[in-house]
Amino acid sequence: MAKLKAFTQEWMNAFRRRIADSKEYREIAGNWEGSVSIIINPDPARGVPETVYLFTDYWHGDVKDFLVCDKAKAESADFIMSGDYIRWKQIARKEIEATKALMQGKLKLKGNLVYVVRNVKTVNKVVDLLGEVDTLFPDD
Amino acid sequence: MPGGYTGLFLTVDLISGKISRFVLEEEFFRLHIGGSAVAARLFLDGFPLDCDPLSGANPLIISTGPMTGSAFPGTSRFSVCARSPLTGIWGESACGGTFGPELKRAGYDGLIITGRAPFPCYLRIEDGAAEIIEASEIWGKDIYETTDLLWSKHRSCRVLAIGPAGENLVRFASIGNDKGHFAGRTGLGAVMGAKNLKAIAVKGTGHPEKADKEGFKQALRSAAEEIRSSAFAGSLHAMGSDAGMDLGMMTGDVPIRNWTVGEDYDLSAALGGPALTEKYLVKAHACTHCPIACKRVVRVAEGPYRTEEGPGPEYETCCTFGTMIMNYDLAGVIKANELCNRYGMDTISCGSTVAMAMELFEKGLLSGRDTEGLDMAWGNMPAVFTLLGKIARREGFGGLLAEGSARAAERLGSAAAEASVHVKGLELPMHDPRAFHGMGLAYMVSNRGGCHLQHAVMGTEQGMVSWPQVFTMKDSYTGPESEDKAALVFHSENFGILGNSLAICHYVLYSLKPETVLKAFNVITGFGFGFSDLMVCGTRDWMLKRGINNLLGVTSRNDALPKRIMTALTEGAAAGSVPDTKKLLSEYYALRGLDKQGIPKEDRLRELGLDALNRRLAAVRAAEPVAKEEMKWQN
Ligand code: SF4
Repeated sequence: MAKLKAFTQEWMNAFRRRIADSKEYREIAGNWEGSVSIIINPDPARGVPETVYLFTDYWHGDVKDFLVCDKAKAESADFIMSGDYIRWKQIARKEIEATKALMQGKLKLKGNLVYVVRNVKTVNKVVDLLGEVDTLFPDD
Repeated sequence: MPGGYTGLFLTVDLISGKISRFVLEEEFFRLHIGGSAVAARLFLDGFPLDCDPLSGANPLIISTGPMTGSAFPGTSRFSVCARSPLTGIWGESACGGTFGPELKRAGYDGLIITGRAPFPCYLRIEDGAAEIIEASEIWGKDIYETTDLLWSKHRSCRVLAIGPAGENLVRFASIGNDKGHFAGRTGLGAVMGAKNLKAIAVKGTGHPEKADKEGFKQALRSAAEEIRSSAFAGSLHAMGSDAGMDLGMMTGDVPIRNWTVGEDYDLSAALGGPALTEKYLVKAHACTHCPIACKRVVRVAEGPYRTEEGPGPEYETCCTFGTMIMNYDLAGVIKANELCNRYGMDTISCGSTVAMAMELFEKGLLSGRDTEGLDMAWGNMPAVFTLLGKIARREGFGGLLAEGSARAAERLGSAAAEASVHVKGLELPMHDPRAFHGMGLAYMVSNRGGCHLQHAVMGTEQGMVSWPQVFTMKDSYTGPESEDKAALVFHSENFGILGNSLAICHYVLYSLKPETVLKAFNVITGFGFGFSDLMVCGTRDWMLKRGINNLLGVTSRNDALPKRIMTALTEGAAAGSVPDTKKLLSEYYALRGLDKQGIPKEDRLRELGLDALNRRLAAVRAAEPVAKEEMKWQN
């Protein structure tokens, strides 16, 4: 199957499917409720001319909306993760773990940290599944 | 004198009551910076290394760093040092809190206390003046009571005190600062107890100078901004050091059931930072001038383990009195923590020793007769609380455990040895080397025995920090692998060890850019150091302490992990993995410049200006590598 272009709605749908189809995710995410947006800082030199806003929503093991969205929608999420394009690419490629990127200040997180830590297994599983989407990045 | 230093050390001889001062010059500080590095040099040059740790001959050295009390975040720290009664080798324990800055304000970079007072006493220091005061009124009191009494006697003083455990020479006795901060490791509370020294109360009104005040303000602004935007600092503020337990369970870092089980998510859900925050947190608390405020003030309001509002457990304690002993009740951890704080006992060594006793009880190597009727079943917290009192008072079975796990296991026979999980006599901190092989190497070669704070390996190997601007390192490391780890440990030691000489908290070090720390150090002292200068000082510090240990009998055979750690787990993220100790040690020895016996090579010491140490080590190098009597129980 052809690679999907990163940050398109088609790519978001594939990401959503990966999570929805994961039995393991369903098992460990029973406690998670809340939306998470991803904000990708522009990097024109690498083919990302503008900020990218993505919105994802999770509900006790189920997945709801997964959207390419605007700034206002992204900022309405319960949790907001932001960072440079290159970091997100490294995370999607499993070259660096999201938790390490967060601790090193390569990603920023807005939202209830206690809740995230309590559900760190769920967060890591989502990131893991993101890495399984066959992705064509803008600078590939 | 350069900024950040007073240049003055106070010496107190408790036998004669003589109190005097001596001056250390800038040149000395440029070599050793401060904290435990300065203490090690003073110990090596001025005292009989092989003194009985529990005799008056063992000097107790308290040493601050140039950043102590500077108002830069995380710089309240000071080191307490002596020959350790627990390990028999170099002992040191760094502490945050309030005492270090106050000592500096009172006019001193440090103290050296020698001898044994003919009667229980405490030392009072106020703005340069010092006196020894009779202490029969507070002898026997716990650390909280002692601190309260001294606060009421000497208004707005800062207190360093021991509890009954220190008085009774428990080998892992701690020293408490203002009831909320502890110099826990290596049993230095017993060194105070052996001196009949119950406490030190200090008060000062001075202000240590800074070389560049404007530059310091800039460094402060950068630090404040970096801490504000640091997720690491944010999670510490929100949940304390226990914030790491949930993630640690996923990576295999958390030891369970005395290091025999690889994962148990019910334990981390019950004992991790979120649970502590949601159920028991009253408020966050900070060492002097620290915006992170990782310390917890907690209260158990109801139930059998009720506690007053007071200092809460750190991650290590949530493991030693939680995951290690299969206790799923966080209130029980809080209670055990409070008891250890009051009695004055290191929660890592104490909890690990209790875990050993529970394992031996289960295996039938300890019976109800041995424990005087205490049912040492896993997770039996009422028995643990009773036992803690017995240890602190050295009563019966408690007296055996007061010796620490290594000595106690030795007395219980060879079958018990495996349950004592230590390096060089110091019970391991709560980070599993099977999940992080670099940490395994760091434990093996740490100069105070198994330790996670004599270096920055936790930060670099687990990926909390990335410091390619300081030394060559990869973007990311895989925990249960030994490849590339020797170099990582070597550099992380040379830089991380500076936490104890600059006197800056590791959590703050991990939350800031290293450039900001370097800048703060330089604008305080005016030294104009680069990273490479700092790393040379870190290297010198490591070699100095290694040399002391070599003179005390440590050789390469002591650089080893215990059998328990060299046995792979069958579940969890570290399943099937053990560190490749042979590879790690041979690569590390080459980088560090140690010979086959584990002794620093002559040329390395010469490069570092440690010629006197070189001469003293000549005899050791020439001798057959025979373990000294007091080293015989060491791995
Ligand atoms: S981070 Fe915590 S331990 Fe470190 S200085 Fe701040 S309050 Fe103290």
